[in-house]
Amino acid sequence: MKLLPFDHAIRNLARSPRRLFLVVGGSTLVSLLVLGAVAFSRGLEASLGASGLATNALLLGTGSEESVERSEISPTTAEALHASVDGIAVHAGRPAIASEIHVALPASLASPEQATTDTASATRATEESPIMVRGYETASSLVHPQVRLKEGRWPSGGASEVAAGPEALARIDGAKLGSTILLAGEPCVVVGVFEAPGTTMHGEFWMPVELLAIITQRSTRSCVIAALGGVDEAGERIDPQVAFDDVEAFTAMRLDLETTAVRESEYYAQLAAFLAPIRMLVLITALLVAFGGALGGINAMYAAFASRVREAGTLQAIGFSRGAIAISLLIESLVACATGALMACLLGRLLLDGIAVRFSMGTFTLAVDSAAIAAGLLAGLSLGVVGGIAPIARCLSLPIPLALRS
Amino acid sequence: MIHDHAKSTSVANHAWIRARKLRKVYRKALRDGVQEIVPLAALDLEIARGDFVSLMGPSGSGKTTLLNLLAGIDAATSGELWIGDHNLVHMRRDALAAWRAKEVGIIFQSYNLVPVLTAFENVELPLLLSPLGRRERTERAMEALTTVGLADRAGHFPSQLSGGQEQRVAIARAIVARPPLLLADEPTGDLDRESAELVLQLLDQLNEREKMTIVMVTHDPRAAARARTRLFLEKGELARREEAVP
Repeated sequence: MKLLPFDHAIRNLARSPRRLFLVVGGSTLVSLLVLGAVAFSRGLEASLGASGLATNALLLGTGSEESVERSEISPTTAEALHASVDGIAVHAGRPAIASEIHVALPASLASPEQATTDTASATRATEESPIMVRGYETASSLVHPQVRLKEGRWPSGGASEVAAGPEALARIDGAKLGSTILLAGEPCVVVGVFEAPGTTMHGEFWMPVELLAIITQRSTRSCVIAALGGVDEAGERIDPQVAFDDVEAFTAMRLDLETTAVRESEYYAQLAAFLAPIRMLVLITALLVAFGGALGGINAMYAAFASRVREAGTLQAIGFSRGAIAISLLIESLVACATGALMACLLGRLLLDGIAVRFSMGTFTLAVDSAAIAAGLLAGLSLGVVGGIAPIARCLSLPIPLALRS
Repeated sequence: MIHDHAKSTSVANHAWIRARKLRKVYRKALRDGVQEIVPLAALDLEIARGDFVSLMGPSGSGKTTLLNLLAGIDAATSGELWIGDHNLVHMRRDALAAWRAKEVGIIFQSYNLVPVLTAFENVELPLLLSPLGRRERTERAMEALTTVGLADRAGHFPSQLSGGQEQRVAIARAIVARPPLLLADEPTGDLDRESAELVLQLLDQLNEREKMTIVMVTHDPRAAARARTRLFLEKGELARREEAVP
């Protein structure tokens, strides 16, 4: 089959700038939406993946394996675990084991008057939004090596102080280092800003666990997190897997504590699986909206190809086969849609990549990575092929004599 | 001097184009059934190689249908249509396309040039179907443009040409592959008298010098008068045949 020259298709693209704009625009929209949805999904997955370490054991209340926020365990669990299991990592003589409280609390910026009072009954100055607050212990820094203090200092015990992740601060209008914020109505001074890029902790407030227990009026903890990989009496490093088996054995023996052990990475993997329907919903919504954009692009292609029926008839009369003409039209459609897809990838990298998305458990950033770009390109190219087929078939469906008269 | 052979079926001993009981029926679906339109009833026709034939007749007499069948761009319902050794009625669509590329040049009333291609590129189009290399294609296309007197317009787009010039480019495109058969559907229908005369002179020249067989549909008696054989169709049948005696 002899094909029409490639540049024939390219030149035809410029015939109607308006139609070209519509096709490229439609393709850009479709590709950008798909790319955005994949970036959302990948970002959430990456963030949850980075938030949990495979070498950390997480002890949760039995029956609360799916949500650390719902979990309640005894404050003595950490001590009991440390006393019973040898494989807990030790850093600078301190065991890497921490009891924490994880709770979502309404947060807002305190007004100047509220900043000077410690009453919880003060009226709120700004709109409240629930933000994840983590009650931590000193050892928390040992089990969360992703966290680094960026500015200020860590809160001191006793005072109503809080450290903030950058995305947590960003969720409260006007909040910055030194601001007083209201957490569940309690004024707290932001004395430090930490960062944990790519993890959900980047969007959390951290305060001493005792203070958070008072604010939330709870006597229990949410979880115990232990870094595995300590050394035994002979000074040999204990395999984290063996250490985790010991932790599981501990939870099996200490039924009175009503705890269950999971690897921290597994917990977040389960959380990612739990959120899979939301990711799917985002993707489906994006596809539905993209469908509208695709229809616009296809409609423009219909119009573009419908005006070329006579030309298609002429080319057939000259001796070109329908297949050759169809391929030329398909190239045209593909080039237009690929241009839109490339523009979407560029826009995605420039505008979407790294955008923070806040949700109840913290925050994550959209990840416009190679997979998202591949999905965007694939969406554009698919639109070029699938969207081109019907207009092309219509353009070539007429018998040659009728096409010549059209 | 003109000889009149009404409903003649044999004019040449060695006819190159032969139609036998050629019939074309279009079926049109209506609410209360199917309507049959019969542009060609049972046409018998012979045309000698190298002839210049004009097809005349009232609207609906089957002229354009016959031309489409001769071009292999429409399929007969029944009968036979031989052009040389090829029975077009039994050829498949792909085979017909390949045959057209080599054997037939078509000139349309409304030129049908591709607007995004220059005059040269339009003329070169049929050669893209041949095994010729780029240099040979360029030579041939320029030669065809020279034949129609438009070598100096090679780089012009159709929108930059007059109607007469567009039709001459279309003729160059039709003859560039040097087909033995040239079919023209009202080639002067959209042209002024001067341009029409130029086109007819070109057709004369191609018939006499290049020995191309030309079949031209026309309503214009002056254009028809340039042909050596004039066929008059009526109601899908050959009503009259006139031949100019040299």
